[in-house]
Amino acid sequence: MHVELHHITKTFGGLRANDALSLSFAEGRIYALLGENGAGKSTLMKILSGYQPPDSGQILIDGRAVTFETPADALRCGIGMLHQDPLDVPNLTVLDNFMLGRREGLLPKRKAARAALEQHAARLGFHLDPFRYVDSLTIGERQQLEIVRLLSLGARLLILDEPTTGISAEQKQTLFSSLKRLAAQEGMTIILVSHKLEDVAALCEEVYVLRGGKLVGHRHMPTSIDELVTLMFGQSLPPPARRQSALGEEILRAEAVSLTARRLTVRDLWLSVRRGEVIGLAGLDGSGQSDFLRACAGLQPLNGGRILIGGIPIRGKGYAELLRMGVAYAPSGRLEEGLVDGLTLTEHFALARAGGAWINWRAMTALAAEQIGRYNIRGMPHSPVQTLSGGNQQRALIALLPENLRLLLLEDPTRGLDVESTAWVWQQLLARRDQGAAILFTSPDLDEIVTYSDRVLVFCDGRATLVSDLAASTRNPAEQLGELIGGKVYEPR
Amino acid sequence: MNLAKARGALLTFSGALGVALVLIALIMLSLDKAPLAAGRRFLDGVFGTPSARADVVMAALPMLLCAAGLLLTFTAGLWNIGVEGQVTMGAIFATIIARTIPRDVSEWGILAALILPAELLLAMLGGALWAGLTALLKLRGGINEIFGGVALNFISVNILLSLVNGPWRVGTFPQTAPFASAALLPRHPELRLSPLAIAIALIAFGAVFMALRGTRFGLALRAIGRNAKSAGILGVRVERHILWAMIACGALAGLAGAFQVLFTRGRLLPNISGGIGFMGVLIVLLVGVRAAWVLPVALFVATVPVGSLKLATSLDSSVQIDAALGNVFQGALVLAVLIGGGIRARLAARRKERAEHG
Ligand SMILES: Nc1ncnc2c1ncn2[C@@H]1O[C@H](COP(=O)(O)OP(=O)(O)OP(=O)(O)O)[C@@H](O)[C@H]1O
Ligand SMILES: [Mg+2]
Repeated sequence: MHVELHHITKTFGGLRANDALSLSFAEGRIYALLGENGAGKSTLMKILSGYQPPDSGQILIDGRAVTFETPADALRCGIGMLHQDPLDVPNLTVLDNFMLGRREGLLPKRKAARAALEQHAARLGFHLDPFRYVDSLTIGERQQLEIVRLLSLGARLLILDEPTTGISAEQKQTLFSSLKRLAAQEGMTIILVSHKLEDVAALCEEVYVLRGGKLVGHRHMPTSIDELVTLMFGQSLPPPARRQSALGEEILRAEAVSLTARRLTVRDLWLSVRRGEVIGLAGLDGSGQSDFLRACAGLQPLNGGRILIGGIPIRGKGYAELLRMGVAYAPSGRLEEGLVDGLTLTEHFALARAGGAWINWRAMTALAAEQIGRYNIRGMPHSPVQTLSGGNQQRALIALLPENLRLLLLEDPTRGLDVESTAWVWQQLLARRDQGAAILFTSPDLDEIVTYSDRVLVFCDGRATLVSDLAASTRNPAEQLGELIGGKVYEPR
Repeated sequence: MNLAKARGALLTFSGALGVALVLIALIMLSLDKAPLAAGRRFLDGVFGTPSARADVVMAALPMLLCAAGLLLTFTAGLWNIGVEGQVTMGAIFATIIARTIPRDVSEWGILAALILPAELLLAMLGGALWAGLTALLKLRGGINEIFGGVALNFISVNILLSLVNGPWRVGTFPQTAPFASAALLPRHPELRLSPLAIAIALIAFGAVFMALRGTRFGLALRAIGRNAKSAGILGVRVERHILWAMIACGALAGLAGAFQVLFTRGRLLPNISGGIGFMGVLIVLLVGVRAAWVLPVALFVATVPVGSLKLATSLDSSVQIDAALGNVFQGALVLAVLIGGGIRARLAARRKERAEHG
């Protein structure tokens, strides 16, 4: 199946999100679609997958023009898309979600569906328990479910919008090898939308680059990462600088903490964090890193032990109370947990900033405009948050963090950000550290953890081990971290 | 909201009104009644005379109060079906004071001026208590506010019945004695109208309107209604806001209950609420949580019970119908508006798609 996009244009109000884009995708090849946050990647892919119509332009499949009214139409023509934010139904089981959208009689055949689910999952090397509820899955697992569902419905062209943001290194390995096999052996066409240039280099054969809604480049891999960055941003970036600052008093203390994560129970976790420190939490997806963050924010109960913030036990305190003690939590779920679909940016700032009973809308609009400028968010104060591009939603989430924090708890803070924004967001975060905030963050990206953490807490098999000499390690630190995550016993030198 | 949208909403509403009217006309024809004559009589009964118009306004006030309270809870995504019980409790609590007031209070001096405020405040407390209970059942017991509300409605009705059949009963019927005039809302000298009640209802509605528009509380309720989890992460105290939204709604419903005993009926009797809580729900459903429309819609909805009562008591048998037909009409109207809204949304989506393709 050969798919061509011909002069696709899409505008939102005055904004040209896609400007006469012409791209072509051949059978059995793996493509990357690159571009900075807000470049128009998701918009184009949503058009190709029938999620929204273009203003003008054509989609050709094997030379024949097609129009899609709905994503189901596109899927019938063999085009399936994995969205940036999961679209599954959280309070159904894996099997129920799999069966949604299958065209069957009134009485769905659960047995047959289960067999199909297992067969397609095996074909990709995924393990999915049919009877788990979707909201207990990790983002990585939800993604696997969605891919299996699309394939079983006959997708011949698979679009993956930032599939590696939020999944573990292990899950990424599995995903990439399955995708390569699908392309090589079954003639599947794959389009990867990503900001991770290493991923692009590892997986893709051809690259399209968008900037400001226009196509600015088409390259065959291998192409140097520098050249791609230059294409994306119009310049290449210096590596982020790191600064050392003096540590302050102890802000967070975990004593013999035990908590339940999705897959396992973490036991006997001890940690002491001082102001001005950055602690990375590493581990396979669902090993308890996120749960520990949530527990520190008072959003998840402990099985045992206690957590103290500034010497005060947080047991029984809600998040709102901790927030006033200078603790803030930013989740990776964006529209699920963090931003409110339907409210504008101004309204978000009005909510997040303390103030009197009356809202001064003029001042809040000014504040929103200022933060939009400062955090370089592509949007207006009156934009509803769901109209922002994924990366811009993430920036908004960071911009919403209150000032004067003592402890930042960040779940995958640069999820979906392009290289430039990632460096920039960290610059902001490290500035807060220099003002005396401690930072705890999770990331599936080991390089990010190694680059920014002073110490790393490695979660593996229900244990949490503190690693403090990564930077001093002579070997490749990310590699060493990978081994620890995989279960190798840590031996401090 | 832009003009085209407002026009669309108005169009849907008139269409739905037409459908509901045709339905009622058909029912009347099947009962050998004259729908046109009845319609004329109805309009005359609600608009014809100053006293008819006053009746409509006064009937609208309790509904307006309930609708105002429900705007808060609906905004926060809460289905406060318990509003009916909150009205009943308001009526009961107001009666606690009202039934003890003697005919002659000339010796009370300044205290006499405190009777009415005390009654109204107690009524608000009663409604708030009942709503707070629903909220606590939800927050602490995990019981959905709809189920908790229905249960508390049932309990409040039984409390009311046991009071008017038992300790508070005066005379042969299960009801209290008529209250002394010092206990009642002051009346206009000629019309069945209470300017004070109108002022209170309008101020209450205005306060809700402003709260939703310009306060942190209103914005927080909106955020909770759309995504409570995210609202919590943004620093909103979700449980506390849910509790306060319910309590505020209950207080307003309690006030509506006080209006029922202190003006409309002048005493406490069974079925004191007469369904005004549910009318409030209908009004909010009709306007789709757009606060500004509540005022005219409440007035419109109030014409139905007033007008159908006039028809029911008419001596002319060709137009005389049971007052229950008014409820049928109301139900049909709400259904038609909701369906109309659905159709309009679908048409708009299709039109937009076509425009984008073309
Ligand atoms: N429904 C919408 N309404 C208004 N503007 C929109 C809408 N959808 C997208 N946009 C705007 O179009 C532009 C392109 O968005 P798009 O989601 O395609 O970016 P992207 O390249 O996927 O970015 P990211 O890497 O951050 O996900 C953005 O400025 C965005 O705000
Ligand atoms: Mg995107």
